[in-house]
Amino acid sequence: MKTKLTLSKEYIKGLWENNPVFKQVLGMCPALAVTVSALNGIAMALATTFVLVFSSLIISTFRKLIPSQVRIAAYILIIATFVTLVDLIMKAQFPSLSKELGPYIPLIVVNCLILGRQEAFSSKNTVFRSVVDALGMGTGFLIALFVLGGIREILGSRTILGLQVLPDFYEPWLIMILPAGAFLTLGFLMGFLNTYTERKKRLEREAILKKHIKPISDTPINTVEA
Amino acid sequence: MKLLVHMLATLTIIGILSGGLLSEVSKWAKPKIALHRKAETEKAIFLVQPDAKSQKKIETVDFEIYRVFDENNDPIGYALPYEGNGFQGNIRLMVGVKNDLKEIVGLQVLEQTETPGLGTKVTEEPFTNQFVKLVAEPNVGWVKGAPPKKTNEVQTITGATISSKAIVDIVNGGLQKLRDVKNSGVEL
Amino acid sequence: MATVTANPTYKLELTSSPHVHSRWSTKQAMWMVVFALVPCIVSAILFFGIYQLTIIAVSVGFAVGTEAAIKYVRKRKITLNDGSALITGLLLALILPPNFNLAFVALGSIVAIALGKEIFGGLGYNIFNPALVGRAFLQASFPVQMTTWEQPNYAVDSVTSATPLASFKFDAVGTELNTMLIGNIGGSLGETSTIAILLGGLFLIAIGIVNYRIPLAMVIGVILFGGVFWLVDPAAYQNPLFHLLGGGFMFGALFMATDWVSSPLQSKGMWIYGFGIALVLILIRLFGGLPEGVMYAILFMNAFVPLINRYTQPTVFGGAK
Repeated sequence: MKTKLTLSKEYIKGLWENNPVFKQVLGMCPALAVTVSALNGIAMALATTFVLVFSSLIISTFRKLIPSQVRIAAYILIIATFVTLVDLIMKAQFPSLSKELGPYIPLIVVNCLILGRQEAFSSKNTVFRSVVDALGMGTGFLIALFVLGGIREILGSRTILGLQVLPDFYEPWLIMILPAGAFLTLGFLMGFLNTYTERKKRLEREAILKKHIKPISDTPINTVEA
Repeated sequence: MKLLVHMLATLTIIGILSGGLLSEVSKWAKPKIALHRKAETEKAIFLVQPDAKSQKKIETVDFEIYRVFDENNDPIGYALPYEGNGFQGNIRLMVGVKNDLKEIVGLQVLEQTETPGLGTKVTEEPFTNQFVKLVAEPNVGWVKGAPPKKTNEVQTITGATISSKAIVDIVNGGLQKLRDVKNSGVEL
Repeated sequence: MATVTANPTYKLELTSSPHVHSRWSTKQAMWMVVFALVPCIVSAILFFGIYQLTIIAVSVGFAVGTEAAIKYVRKRKITLNDGSALITGLLLALILPPNFNLAFVALGSIVAIALGKEIFGGLGYNIFNPALVGRAFLQASFPVQMTTWEQPNYAVDSVTSATPLASFKFDAVGTELNTMLIGNIGGSLGETSTIAILLGGLFLIAIGIVNYRIPLAMVIGVILFGGVFWLVDPAAYQNPLFHLLGGGFMFGALFMATDWVSSPLQSKGMWIYGFGIALVLILIRLFGGLPEGVMYAILFMNAFVPLINRYTQPTVFGGAK
């Protein structure tokens, strides 16, 4: 068993170290499909966070009462309830936003991020800890979707949150608001982030090696006969 | 046996609670959603029939169509929602016509999935305004790359010829259907 | 490049395709291709004006610059003298519309090298034809500018500025075949003159740099598939000759589909690949929303090349039947 993290670490791990989109690669469908603008990304992430937090709350509260044989069915029922709730509320209160996000709100049910957190975290941790974890994951999702949507909106419609940021002579790259643009942006972001973390890890490793091991030999190891 | 009961009981309780909660929320949300839908349709009707003061759904036909009236409650025309194929998916639009079905009053695109920034230009005013006071007989035509010379023609959008033509085709299809119904003697 | 050091003086280089053995080294072959493209460049200048040289210059400049920059950042040997970046830039310029915005040309060129080639690891590792990747990016980003065609210099009538394929598809206006053969029509820089393309293409086939099978399979395929529809309804569908001379077909068949890296290795695979491109092309041109589809047809079949190679692998001598 791993040592318990402090509550603040439990929250922060979702933002970066375990970011749902960039690190766990979960919830790809909404992350790619709705991020044509920053606002859409924010709305989607908030709806997902709502479902995630409340599902985690309920599931961690009753985690000892739900028999493990039917836990997935029970989780899905609970998640679907909250998704339908969000869908109805959005349709009633924010009709234009609901129209924009279209079928992707009901599709939150099948977002692996939510079921994944229940299975991996809420079913094993206390209520408070689960909610903090859900909030962290939700915030991480929000950051990812905002960055994705923001980049696509700036390059594809030269605006951010509806405000024009690039000059008129910049011709918007329509590809960025097409599905291809979502894949390109996500690919580049993940590439850069992975390069960064890999380098950090390598430097740390090298620092440790330098400290403890002295070089054995400088000659290269022959792997192939000439 | 005990486990089976436990399993059934858990799922049943969750189901009942979930159903109960959702039905309550739905009771609250349904009228609001219906109101939004109605307001949306009404808005579109008055956009395509700017002179209209009131509207009424025609119930004698099996498709959706609205009769619109001026301030003296005299019928001045129709507002017809109609749909067809665009470049990528379905396009749904609302077209307003005069009583004699010979002149279009206005056009509004309600739903579309055209290419963003390109095909979506058919929803914008430079294009839709071409339909204002457009002669619709014998049908609506289109020209490419030059301002229209005839009174029943619109100019297609550069680079989005297919979406533009789709709109024209949908308008023609809807008006033709209306004419057929009228010619067959049904009271509209 | 994966290099395993065995001995200070010998190096075993592990490289991906092309392993095609040829009397030409990659470097020589690349320069021959550049030479073969000269007629197309001349026809571009002749029909669309001397200004087109700036498009070619910008495209080549940014392609070579991007390649060098990426190699530098990745700390790899800068291999500009193999001429592959030069060719990608040249090919990209020749499939762009005349008088195209230079900023877009630069962007397309960067994308072609960075996303089309270097991101896979450089020459030999790319799945798709880099120049076509660049053009596809531009097509998706700037669809209006990519389909705005200049009048050729010696235009007979000044009414239409569309390509023959577009005017047939959208306005049901045909174009005379001999005009299309010479290239005095609307279209991309190097795509219009069939004669110029054939001059360069046949030269490459003659000296053995380009294999005749892929272009031949494409031509036969278009005559076959296009011919069937033409025979069924000559009024609605153009005759196959129009498809051969129209749009980027000839240029695509001789210079794009035959790219060493992104085309199949075996003869049988080349035939399958060529017929596949022809089929997809005819489907796009006749039933798709776009008037032209050579680019998408080739990119589509590029994706199948690894599969084709796998199933057309010749049996090893003594291997199972």
